[in-house]
Amino acid sequence: MMRPILLALTALLAPALVALSLAVAPSVRRRGAPAAALTILASLASFGAAVALLFEHSARLTVPWLRTGARVIAEVGVNVDGVSTSMLVVVTFVALCVQVFSLGYMHDESPPAFGRYFAYHALFLFSMNLLVLAPNLLQLFAGWELVGVTSYLLIGFYYKKPSAAHAAVKAFWVTKFADMGFLFGLLTLFVATGSFSFNVALTPPVAVAVTLLFFLAVVGKSAQFPLHVWLPDAMEGPTPVSALLHAATMVAAGVFLVVRADPLFAQAESTRTVMLVVGVGTALFAALLALVQTDIKKVLAYSTCSQLGYMIAALGAGSMLGGFFHLTTHAFFKALLFLAAGSIIHAVGSNELSKMGGLARRMPVTFAAFTIGALSLAAVPGFSGFFSKDLVLEAVAGKLGSIPLALLVATAFLTAFYMGRVLVVAFLGAPSSDEAAHAHEAGWSMKLPLLALAALSLVAGFFAAPFAKLHGQAYHFHFGGVAAVGTAAGLLGLVLAYTLSSARIARATRAVSELARGSAVDRFYEYSFRRVTLVLSDSLAWVDRYVVDGMINLLGYRTIDAGRGMRPLQTGMAPDYVLAVVVGAASLAAWTVLR
Amino acid sequence: MSELRALWVPLAVAAVAIVLLVVDVLTHPHTSRRWLGYFVAGALAAIFCATFLFPTDGRAAHGAFEGSAWTTSFQRLFLSAGVVAALGGLDDVAKRTPHRVGEYWLAMLFSIIGMLILPGARDLVLLIVAFELMGIPLYVLAAYAKTETKGGHAAEAALKLYLTGATSTAITLFGLALFTGMTGTTRLDALAGAAGATTPLAGVGLAFVIAGMGYKLGMVPFHMWVPDTYQGASTPFVAFLSVAPKAAGVAAMSAIFLFGMRGHPAHWAPVIALLAILSMVVGNLLALPQTDLRRLLGYSGIAQMGYVLVALASNDTFAAGMTFFFLTAYLFTNMGAFLVLHVAAESSGEHSAASLAGLAQRAPGLAAALMAFLLSLAGIPFVVGFWAKLYVLLAAFRAGLVLPVVVGIALAVVGLFYYLRVLSAAYMSEPGALKRPELGAPMRLAIGICVVAVVGLGLWPKPLVDQSLAAATSLLERR
Repeated sequence: MMRPILLALTALLAPALVALSLAVAPSVRRRGAPAAALTILASLASFGAAVALLFEHSARLTVPWLRTGARVIAEVGVNVDGVSTSMLVVVTFVALCVQVFSLGYMHDESPPAFGRYFAYHALFLFSMNLLVLAPNLLQLFAGWELVGVTSYLLIGFYYKKPSAAHAAVKAFWVTKFADMGFLFGLLTLFVATGSFSFNVALTPPVAVAVTLLFFLAVVGKSAQFPLHVWLPDAMEGPTPVSALLHAATMVAAGVFLVVRADPLFAQAESTRTVMLVVGVGTALFAALLALVQTDIKKVLAYSTCSQLGYMIAALGAGSMLGGFFHLTTHAFFKALLFLAAGSIIHAVGSNELSKMGGLARRMPVTFAAFTIGALSLAAVPGFSGFFSKDLVLEAVAGKLGSIPLALLVATAFLTAFYMGRVLVVAFLGAPSSDEAAHAHEAGWSMKLPLLALAALSLVAGFFAAPFAKLHGQAYHFHFGGVAAVGTAAGLLGLVLAYTLSSARIARATRAVSELARGSAVDRFYEYSFRRVTLVLSDSLAWVDRYVVDGMINLLGYRTIDAGRGMRPLQTGMAPDYVLAVVVGAASLAAWTVLR
Repeated sequence: MSELRALWVPLAVAAVAIVLLVVDVLTHPHTSRRWLGYFVAGALAAIFCATFLFPTDGRAAHGAFEGSAWTTSFQRLFLSAGVVAALGGLDDVAKRTPHRVGEYWLAMLFSIIGMLILPGARDLVLLIVAFELMGIPLYVLAAYAKTETKGGHAAEAALKLYLTGATSTAITLFGLALFTGMTGTTRLDALAGAAGATTPLAGVGLAFVIAGMGYKLGMVPFHMWVPDTYQGASTPFVAFLSVAPKAAGVAAMSAIFLFGMRGHPAHWAPVIALLAILSMVVGNLLALPQTDLRRLLGYSGIAQMGYVLVALASNDTFAAGMTFFFLTAYLFTNMGAFLVLHVAAESSGEHSAASLAGLAQRAPGLAAALMAFLLSLAGIPFVVGFWAKLYVLLAAFRAGLVLPVVVGIALAVVGLFYYLRVLSAAYMSEPGALKRPELGAPMRLAIGICVVAVVGLGLWPKPLVDQSLAAATSLLERR
């Protein structure tokens, strides 16, 4: 009984202690390197404890926190079971990789900034672990909020850049708006059942209300349409932060909430249908937007929205395993992609794909890592993304007349296509800038995490069966029709990206001969691509930018205007104030009588 | 003897006030009187500690005053507010009015005596006397320094406070006259059985009482003095004004409504809920466009009081406990925020967000303290404001007040916007020509106390929650 608890507390408190000591000892923090060392040690301890927990049985320790009379209303503590342990391993591992990578990536920062960066990381890991190990929804909510604050600090790390400060505020604002749903959900759940447990029986209307409210928070945190607008902007943060927050942890927290509260969601079939629709819609919509991005991080950002859509769709289809397993593999390969992109940006000094090209020969490790990540994301058989995406597709098969399945297969095609495009443009062909021509691989602190994550992206898929066992489910892989269709879509996308783009690169260099050589198929592809997909994507980007984003901004500005509109009431004249007091009192009394 | 046992806390503070008066007179006119502030802080701190050692329960004046866990909890709150206010205001008072230091602390001690009696008052006459004892010295203190800061005039601020305050007192007294006229008693414990308590005219009386007390709390539409006074009076005093009298106002309202009128919530709870909603809406929305941070905190305080009143309107033991919890959280948070603001404004000469520019680089510790306070006001874990807001909303929602809770949660998001704006000025802008602010030792101690309370109670709120619930039980469930 004691051992799992001690391990869980280690995982939770090691980063907390470091964060606290860095907060109270600015002299250590401002020297930079010691802060980084402490933070990485804490993450190592957390990760070690998390791995050890995989071999322990379930356990639970709670301390009463709030009580009325003899009744305990809320508890805090740690909850060790299959769900929390596997999430803990993912979170601590990715955090560790990202922190080691940051040693190299953030090397040029001044020591105080370097130390501050790692202090935020320690705080973030604590918040995330608090959320993951929560024994009830109240503690999960506290962790959830703290993750929001810390992400604000991390996204706004380059706070001297106005766009970064703005992005941080926007991310905070949008997710906070969505968090209202969480709070309402908690209150409703508490009033209905008197507890914050994730596993209580509810009456059908309450179940739908509570889960829909929770889902609103998930939409914000996991960047689902229409609250996805903050995620692309949040790319203003340092690239390792994007790898941590926007691949593996913060955005996954939303999905984790649904997994954690699965017993509640299982009681609300209509919420699940909403989730399926929103998930599939976001997957397709974000994939289309990823097509037209020219910034490598924005491609990955929209791709994250899209993949989160897959997870939400799987959970909406009732497959907890599918959603959660895709979360796990996605955490590995998307963190890998972001870190590899960080390695490129570090070498080239720009996020723009047009400044890259020909990097395969100059940065072989990064190339290999990015390729493994991309192939995994494209769900090529054998790579981890294939197994998890297959689980998602199997889960949605047959739901709502197979429309979700068809759309997700189409998305799989688009995913492979845009990842193929990035691979080709960034790594193949000739360098498009001086920086790209002289790019070189960074030191081991940046290569090692890439290799570790690449290894996991390669093999994680084969651990589906033990993963399922952790959650008390069975998993047997079979290569059925769904898998075949999904694979075909993915491969088609990759091949198309390769042929189309190499043709375009060729045309850029030898425009004349290209015209002569261009086959009818090429032209057809390109025509249909330009006329249909690109127009569609561009118009969607327009809608996204001006309509969805605009509405959200409008809401903000209207609120400020409402505040300004009330200002003239405050005249500054004492007689007016006295009058207001008297009139106020009189109308209150009148209201009492007439009510 | 039992009378003394129940009343010793206010009596001890009265003794301190008399000693202070004598010492002040005997001190040579030309010597520095700065140390009087230390004397006040030390004496109040000693009394605070003594409340844990000596019993404070019992009845006095034939039951007009009752010492209980509820009374003692509030008394400790006022004593700690006094300690922080004395430490935080010590240097400011000694600098601005070096020859009138004694009277300043005397006025503040008198006001505190009034507050100490309020939560235990079980008779309307005692209650209104204590209420005025608390209020009148505040008019004096608001005008005290005759400060002329940018955009703020102490005399004007005090006059507005006084004029509207006098009006509201008149309204309160009128309401009480109607109410006691209908019920035939001034004793709060006799109201439960009083036949006239539910008549329409008694309802009108109660509405007037709510209006008058709502003025002290800065409830909309009786809030207009708040931003002007906060802007005009000296900031360390505003730190005190913005929390202690408000907590005392809530204590008085709890005595009348939760203790006296518990059985007839329909006659007062909707009125309070209405004011709560108005306050949350107007306070939050008007805080948005403010540029002067004192006004911003003023409007934010109006909104925060809205949350307290939501809990009060729940008419429930749990909610009453959470009212106290919220007030404690708010007291340390808001005092701390005003004191940091004062320090920053002293070094820059203005009270706009620009005075905080680059505070994180000029004074990292001070900026971190400000962050703790602002996050607490915004309701972010793990600072105490998060639990305060959560518990209050939870209590109200459980009592069935859905609409106020919905409004409260929605507007809390608006609140984030302006708190974050202040915070980003401190953390995300360049200091420019601004210098490192100077902090005296007492100011450090005052801000330190607030930080420890805000962060400590945020990490481990359980002791305070237990204490709050025990206090509420002693008020509501003893009979």
